[in-house]
Amino acid sequence: MTKEALALLQEASAETAHDLQICGVSKQYGTVPVLDTIDLQVKAGEFIAIMGPSGCGKTTLLRILAGLESMTAGEIWFQGKDITHLPVHQRHTPMVWQSFALFPHLNVEQNIAFGLTLRAHRKPEVQQKVREVVAMLHLDPLLKRRISQLSGGQKQRVAIARALITEPKVLLLDEPMSALDPHLRVRMQGELKRLQQSLGISFIYVTHNQNEAFSMADRVVVMNQGRIEQVGTPADIYSRPATHFIAEFVGNNNLFDGEVIALDQNRVTVHCPQGTLRSNWHDRCPQLGDRVTIVVPADRVSLDSPDHPNENKITATLRGLEFMGSQMIYFLETDTGYEVRVIRQETLDHSSAISINSRLQLGWRTQDTVLLGERIESGHNHGQ
Amino acid sequence: MVSKQLSLSTAPAPVRRLPQETSFLKYLCLAPAVIYDSVFFLLPLIFLVWIGFWSVENYRAVPGFSLANYLDIFSQFFERSRYAFAIAQSLWVAFSTTALGIFLCYPFAMALVFLVPERLQRLLLVLSITPFWTSYILRLYAWQTILNNNGLLNRLLMQLNWTKAPLQIMFTQWGTRLGLLHYLAPIIILILYLVLRNTDRTLLGAARNLGATQWQTFWRVILPLSKSGIVYSAIFGLIITLGDVLSGTILGGGTGQSILGKFPLFSSMILNEYSASTNLPRTSALATLLIGIMIVILAAGFKLARSER
Repeated sequence: MTKEALALLQEASAETAHDLQICGVSKQYGTVPVLDTIDLQVKAGEFIAIMGPSGCGKTTLLRILAGLESMTAGEIWFQGKDITHLPVHQRHTPMVWQSFALFPHLNVEQNIAFGLTLRAHRKPEVQQKVREVVAMLHLDPLLKRRISQLSGGQKQRVAIARALITEPKVLLLDEPMSALDPHLRVRMQGELKRLQQSLGISFIYVTHNQNEAFSMADRVVVMNQGRIEQVGTPADIYSRPATHFIAEFVGNNNLFDGEVIALDQNRVTVHCPQGTLRSNWHDRCPQLGDRVTIVVPADRVSLDSPDHPNENKITATLRGLEFMGSQMIYFLETDTGYEVRVIRQETLDHSSAISINSRLQLGWRTQDTVLLGERIESGHNHGQ
Repeated sequence: MVSKQLSLSTAPAPVRRLPQETSFLKYLCLAPAVIYDSVFFLLPLIFLVWIGFWSVENYRAVPGFSLANYLDIFSQFFERSRYAFAIAQSLWVAFSTTALGIFLCYPFAMALVFLVPERLQRLLLVLSITPFWTSYILRLYAWQTILNNNGLLNRLLMQLNWTKAPLQIMFTQWGTRLGLLHYLAPIIILILYLVLRNTDRTLLGAARNLGATQWQTFWRVILPLSKSGIVYSAIFGLIITLGDVLSGTILGGGTGQSILGKFPLFSSMILNEYSASTNLPRTSALATLLIGIMIVILAAGFKLARSER
């Protein structure tokens, strides 16, 4: 995209002003591509989660935004200014690091004030700012502590306070929860979301954890192998995965590959090794003979009575169980050797217990399925 | 089956013994170090301090306990032998040389850590330490041939017409410092390299990300984080330079003109006193004083290094 076109675009979309525009950003280490033409627009005040497996390039993208890493091609615009070639310290895109990266030789107060004291400043103003941020993050009693005396959760608050004190328009977060213990993680998710909403600034949050991404983000960006696979609201991504990868990566989905044998209105019939299954199509009408994949969420499959009026039915053998508190994951194997997962709410007395190796009839409704249109490479391992 | 497992789990757990801390093996492994240090360091040191309390009768050292040596030394602190001035001279040379050494070696160590690619770092480090493996005395005599009035340096300078008369470096305090610096540099570089290498790189990124220029990152993050390395190199530098006689004698000419006046280094003074008087108890007492100064520096250094944590 040329700069002129971008400028026009900016004028046109003054209403929904984009804080951050990432245009065709690519990066290569030697001949190894790490990022492949990434395009992404972040609106002002939007909470974006970038999600993907490790090595997908999500952290590299974040570091490129911060100017900590160079890129091979592309442009980054921030509030109508081209910051592609702006050095790190002039970008004003503070980051919350995975390891928190707090300065061990400074105490909490000095760490928080660090960004302000780098420029010409007056002490009372700095102190005032520190007081504001500290109050916002409930750090008052810790101001004089050394970093080594803080717990993981406290360190994270200090890291956030340090990043926010210069009043940035965008905050970059690089897996900030991964060093926290699980119950604290859940609490911080809510707190972080509230913080973002009250500040009204954009958060770009990198994570490999789907719960974090889905619970906080306005929009989720799913990346794989240096590319964006899908951008959408958490609900979109969960219920309408765009690609094979996302259907497998997001949640407990069962994937059935097969060939289209019949079409009517908005419904397709697919011949799969597991049986003949039906699904709805939404965006793109498939052709007869197309190879497609039907996605069936594990929590939509029922294994109750055989006479239940479900439109799709297959038989499978129960091979294992995983107890998850209120839920139970059933691992089943079809006659053709595919693994199928079923998630079911458990009764407290376990009266509905099913013994291993019993053959079961599985069923689900057609409207609970999603059709993936993409072509499936042969030998692709699915249903995991 | 289930009941069986339950009964098993309710049975009292066997009392587990902690592995014995005071094992024979531990002492065995420590023994060589302890024995070596005691025989070759601690015993001679105690002996030296002890001799300081002996006295001399008929030109022979006689064991005993007398403070006469110390009383005599302190009475001459500011007059006649003027030990205080020699100590001050030694401290001046030691502190200025060590400071200069750290000032010169720090950028080198930093370049080694942050600019040199990983695979070349070790090679360059080994190269920068190699002077350490040649004889100190040989190195000093080599410097003599370079720094002499007719030496390599002066001939070059005069040939290039940069100076009319030869530059007087030999037999000045700068000569002493040069010899000492050559001795200290590998040690300081090694210490600073190790400390700087341990710097958490994400902290540098974090500082830059928060708006610090490279210069600010150095002053506000790299330098403070390497404080322990600076303190440790200072301890090594001070103790080595305080105890050194050779550089002061061979390059500095024994007495050095300085801003304090023409006083010898305390270490050379001790050596000269011994060769002139062969009064071993009295010289030992002087040496004990020097050791006392070093211990004070060591203690201050460790306290400083610890307070930075």
